[in-house]
Amino acid sequence: MSVITKQAGTSAAPAAKPGRRRFGAMTPPWLFAAPALLVYAVVVLYPSIAGVVYAFTDWSGIGGDMSFVGLSNFSAILHDDQALGSLGNTLLLTVAVVVVQNVVGLLLALGVNTKIKSRALLRVVFFSPVVVSPVMVAFLWKYIYNPDPSAGLNGLFGLHVDWLGDPSVALWSIAGMVVWQYAGYSMVIFLAGLEGVPRELHEAAMIDGAGTLQRFRYVTWPLLAPAVTINLMLSTIGGLKLFDQVFAATNGGPGYATETLSTVLYKQAFVYGKFGYSTAIALVLALFVAAVSFVQIYYLRSREVSQ
Amino acid sequence: MTRETDRLIEARISRSQFFRLMGGAATAALLTACSTRPSTGGTSGAGAGASVDLKFVGVADEKVPMEDLVAAYRQAKAGVSIATSYAPTDQVQTSLRTQLGAGNAPDLHVVYPGNGSAMSMAQIAGAGLLADLSSQAWTTTIPTGFKPAFQLQGKTYIYSAGSSVIGAIYNKKVFEKAGVDQPPTTWTEFLDVCEKIKKSGVTPIALGAQTPWVTQLITYALVPSTVYAKDPTFDDKQAAGQTSFAQSGWRDAMEMYLELQKRGYFNDKPNGTTYEQQTSMVATGKAGMAIQVSAVLQAFRDAATTPDDLSMFPLPGADDPAQVWIPAGVVVGLGASAKSKNVEEAKAFIDFLGKQENINRWAKAIAAIPLTQDAGSTIDPALESFLPLTKDRAVPFMDQRWPNAEVQPTHFAVIQDLLAGKIDIDGALKKMDEAYAK
Repeated sequence: MSVITKQAGTSAAPAAKPGRRRFGAMTPPWLFAAPALLVYAVVVLYPSIAGVVYAFTDWSGIGGDMSFVGLSNFSAILHDDQALGSLGNTLLLTVAVVVVQNVVGLLLALGVNTKIKSRALLRVVFFSPVVVSPVMVAFLWKYIYNPDPSAGLNGLFGLHVDWLGDPSVALWSIAGMVVWQYAGYSMVIFLAGLEGVPRELHEAAMIDGAGTLQRFRYVTWPLLAPAVTINLMLSTIGGLKLFDQVFAATNGGPGYATETLSTVLYKQAFVYGKFGYSTAIALVLALFVAAVSFVQIYYLRSREVSQ
Repeated sequence: MTRETDRLIEARISRSQFFRLMGGAATAALLTACSTRPSTGGTSGAGAGASVDLKFVGVADEKVPMEDLVAAYRQAKAGVSIATSYAPTDQVQTSLRTQLGAGNAPDLHVVYPGNGSAMSMAQIAGAGLLADLSSQAWTTTIPTGFKPAFQLQGKTYIYSAGSSVIGAIYNKKVFEKAGVDQPPTTWTEFLDVCEKIKKSGVTPIALGAQTPWVTQLITYALVPSTVYAKDPTFDDKQAAGQTSFAQSGWRDAMEMYLELQKRGYFNDKPNGTTYEQQTSMVATGKAGMAIQVSAVLQAFRDAATTPDDLSMFPLPGADDPAQVWIPAGVVVGLGASAKSKNVEEAKAFIDFLGKQENINRWAKAIAAIPLTQDAGSTIDPALESFLPLTKDRAVPFMDQRWPNAEVQPTHFAVIQDLLAGKIDIDGALKKMDEAYAK
């Protein structure tokens, strides 16, 4: 597709002036994207960039009183126990989600990539939680995480765990519900990668005497690198921005045990009435996510191999 | 790839063609949007002529009385219709603060009395976003003790139908089975009652501390006796920096709170238990009582098979009955947006709510004590034991005098941490003092 597009663009170019030629050479796919890009620019880009200004003010979120406070919102973050604590929680949650979600997603993909009869149904079943609203998932898991020994997970496995009420367990309980919901998403991406691994390579490896594990290690895994890159990046970004499930399941509690950067910035804006400070946290979070994603994609791209 | 697709890819569109295409699409979208207007705006039911459509956004607690009184207002004033919507507190807070910030708040909206939360009267009126109601007749009858909840710098900005109390909502059958004849009147008696219920095999106190606002209720119920009974001017002294949470009876209240936990009077794992589970436990007799605000008494009754099994008594926070004080706070109310183009109509509706019969209707619907009372006023029989204390031994809910919106969430968090054994009382009070000073 990209090759054909490039050829088409080249053939049209010579006749027009440079500026006009560039616009005139615009191919239909870009024009189709233009309305969406326009809406994106108006609804997302402009407010986001305009919102940056508030990070340098003490605006409460209501009323007209506002004054510029320079970088004091940013320096306050460094002394804010709640924000720093939530950063730690966010990183722990992200690492847990990224590792477990992708391992589970890969295992599911390998499982449903076999010739078992129910593979089509299983793919749908494993993917189905992804299409459910995260808030609904959180409410569902609040029932599953019922602390009553006769209900939910406790009743099923004879446990006595206070899943969402024990500060040392709650964060991992949330990680569990996130993995449950999004492992199917990782599975689909891995599955797409697996579909692209040529059968001939496996056959050649088998002729060379490679076993199942060796074929996975030396054939499948290297060729899955693009899928790994996408999955790691998406799950990292999702983990760093995690809000809905935490807000609906624990609201950051018990105490501050499950506060994430997103819940803290929400509370600063809408509960404490510190919109300027909240925007500063949001800006730091956005830059942090961008930096992590950039480093991640730079490193992972370098280890990708071509067929 | 098909030949047609290739042709499409190779096609060219000039700049003018592109802008004509976009312009056409935009015009079509605009016309489509405009075409829906008459059908959404014509639902007022106010008849032809000068009809006014007001919009109200409130919290779920307001739904029953508000729907009743909106219907009554429609009868009284046919030219005005009020579209109402309700949501849980945190959702309303998010959307309303955004609307207030953007200058497009609804004509009428929920407002919390006093100060201490992001949607409180002092915060919103302080930003100039609430209409002044001081000229309305009902505002002259606001009891002196409640004025800080209604007024900022001498002007009234919020309507509320009355006050609710915090105490123990209890299941009479559980008490009877445990051999408890009548509710306790001192702290020692209260502990005895809990012990009897525990020995009968039932959880004495249901605590749904996973729901943040529930965490505060036991301290709120005890602090009037441990702090304000000894020093009614505590709030003023705290505001002046002469005292603090750590230096006051707040410490005693938290020790009493944890004593209940230490003696095993709460349900297992309170931090993992929600308000809904707490309600169900008391309503179905799995627990003897819950320390709660009277405004939710109806919700407990709704969850019970026999609503009459449920009643309330003041939580005695002292061993001298004369030193037992109670929290009695103004219930959540509403205000008129100062920026509304229909502000006069919105204020007229609030004036309607201020009539004594409507104060009575609202208060009855939420089991509140009416702001002002006449022969038509009714008070829920479950609240009778509170009435002798409401005259001179009641204090507003503590957060209504706190200077910022950060103290209350901090209180929620430290109580959860105390119940989890993650911090001690010194640490909890220190965090609350730090939040108060911000």
